[in-house]
Amino acid sequence: MILHFEKVSYRYPGVDAWALHELDLTFHPDQSVLVAGASGSGKSTLCRASVGLVPHFHQGQLMGRILLDGLDTRQHPVYQLFHHAGLVFQNPDAQLFSHTVEAELAYGLESLGLSPFDIEERLAWVKKMLGLGSLTKRSPHTLSGGEKQRVALGAILTLRPRILLLDEPFTHLDPEGAEQLRTTLRLIRSEGIVLIIVEHRLHEIITDVDRLVVLHQGEKRIDGSPHQVLSGDISIYGLNPPPLVRLFHALGWGKTPFTVDEALWEIKANHFSPQTLFSFPEQNSILVRSHPSTLDRIVEAEDLWYHYKDCSVLRGVHLNLYRGECVALIGRNGAGKTTLVKHLNGLLKPHRGSLKILGQDIRKTSVSKLARHVGFAWQNPNDQLFRTTVREEVLTGPRVLRAYNPRWCNRLFERLGLGPLLDRSPFSLSEGQKKRVSFAAALAPQPELIIFDEPTAGQDEPFRRELTELIHELQGEGRTVVLVTHDLEFAAQHATRWLILAEGQMIADGSPNTVMANPAAMAKAGLRPTQRFQLIHALKERSKE
Amino acid sequence: MTFHQWLELAIAFGILLMLTLLFRLGLAWLGLLKGLGFAAFTFFIIALFAFDLVTAIVAALRLLTIGTVFFLFFQTTSPEALSNALIKMGTPYPFVFVLTTSMQFVHVLIRRVISIRDAQRARGIPIEGGLRALWYLPALAGPLLIQAFQLADELAEAMEARGFGAPGRRFRYEPHLMLLDWAIITVSIAALVIVVLL
Repeated sequence: MILHFEKVSYRYPGVDAWALHELDLTFHPDQSVLVAGASGSGKSTLCRASVGLVPHFHQGQLMGRILLDGLDTRQHPVYQLFHHAGLVFQNPDAQLFSHTVEAELAYGLESLGLSPFDIEERLAWVKKMLGLGSLTKRSPHTLSGGEKQRVALGAILTLRPRILLLDEPFTHLDPEGAEQLRTTLRLIRSEGIVLIIVEHRLHEIITDVDRLVVLHQGEKRIDGSPHQVLSGDISIYGLNPPPLVRLFHALGWGKTPFTVDEALWEIKANHFSPQTLFSFPEQNSILVRSHPSTLDRIVEAEDLWYHYKDCSVLRGVHLNLYRGECVALIGRNGAGKTTLVKHLNGLLKPHRGSLKILGQDIRKTSVSKLARHVGFAWQNPNDQLFRTTVREEVLTGPRVLRAYNPRWCNRLFERLGLGPLLDRSPFSLSEGQKKRVSFAAALAPQPELIIFDEPTAGQDEPFRRELTELIHELQGEGRTVVLVTHDLEFAAQHATRWLILAEGQMIADGSPNTVMANPAAMAKAGLRPTQRFQLIHALKERSKE
Repeated sequence: MTFHQWLELAIAFGILLMLTLLFRLGLAWLGLLKGLGFAAFTFFIIALFAFDLVTAIVAALRLLTIGTVFFLFFQTTSPEALSNALIKMGTPYPFVFVLTTSMQFVHVLIRRVISIRDAQRARGIPIEGGLRALWYLPALAGPLLIQAFQLADELAEAMEARGFGAPGRRFRYEPHLMLLDWAIITVSIAALVIVVLL
């Protein structure tokens, strides 16, 4: 027993609801545990309570007992606990505060009062393990998202904690970064450190954990081996099962494979018919019906070039978008996706090439004029909230653009479940609710083209379902939807066309299956096909043999 | 001697400019001049109409000189060196930490400002210029302030989780004054004494 929660209830100051409620949970050495739960299930609070930040930093009311390495966290301040259990937070920007990566890594060791010799020894160990050697002299704010996360992880690992907790570590990573993190976590585990990963995207890490704990409304609902837990229905807790488990469940095959190899084995061992799988539709029937008209082009981009600080971010991009289609723009972080979509409403102007939105040349059209036709729902809704009520927040855009249609806006409020929140301050809402407000704000001027920037990042299953319905409705109304995303499963289900951007160039454009069947393009963009695609491909190959 | 004459100020400013070039900071200084130059020009115009030409030149030169001194100091002194020096001088660690860490977060906040500006412009809010932009200033300032507070909160939590308040902190590098440091201190004090005596 290395971490033990005994009838723990906790609520934050000024909040009536319990974030954790009568929680009994024990973590043992030599275990990797995935703690899953929807937004508001108490996952982050569990992390904070494990390292003593709850109650020492957050105050609030704590009942029950938490023992970390035999120490009662209530009796010991955080600085006596932080080298027993280390916590890597979700936002890398907010945990890197030193001038150089090396200083960042050494900070916790200085807090421990170690001698310079010991500090150097630990730094060498962690630099080697995480491959940070080339970054040591750099300032943390100049690093990429994945590098920042590695530094944040390193800054905790140097303390050699017995337990390492990671709060939603996959949220900001592209598929390549996620793979790198999985490799790192395996390495850390081999050092004998207990891993507790808090995540609602189960598929990212499910193959690497021994135990899955499901939290719901601050309580432990299920606890067991991943296969055991996933053989039941976890969607009632707002969780999305891993793709192959979901697929097998939909086909009525009562097995829970996590990998393609496991799925192949189950199909063979249980004599499941591959034909059933081949004929099972991936996309919603509405989507299949809504083929766009190839004549009605709303975006025409030719040979777009954009430079930033002597670096070509876009290099001759060609792009066409048609009315009523849903397109996914995919590529690794830094491939130029954001730069490209910022051209679609004139926030950026191309240095070379031509771009027309609804027939208007964006060089000659102002952003505010284009904003009437192109809606943006950004990844971080906090970037736009400034009004005192949700209603004002949503209506600001249409009023400025003189595009206010009360009937449409009322429908939006109803559609996005904002009705009861209209008179509340947008700042008092949960992150999921804020995201809905930002969607409503983007859609309020009735744009023909709507761009969703990482709409599923950090969002739980109920939100994904709502988003799915919203996308279908928008398409049904003849609006074009662009999903900028790393979530290939979501993109494969909802986008009729994939655009792959790598190093500023559009290297693939076609249906999800056509693009995934192009190994060169997928490899260049650091992507791997969805598990369903891999499984079907493997089964077809096998039937040929 | 006080700097009431434009000639002395011009000489001091010239020396600073030479130092700027010596440290190869010419381009960065030109970047600074975009903002500082505007402020100096405004000072110049106000002083010209309120007083006379010499006062206007002195006012503008003073501003340029002060701005350039600060520019040189922060460009040539790493936050780490500054923090080490302050700790060595006996300034309490939490104070030094807050000062140098806030310097680190300027970059993070600049990135946030750009994201917020883009998000607001994308929904038609005119914050890029003109008088209407003033009316919509809260659209930029509101999210920025909220995010800055949130960042500060998260940062405090992350620091706590790495033992910020732990007693007995030992530093990796114990800074020591080198011969060069003593030489510069001596020259600086001598220069100050000469200037004050003159």
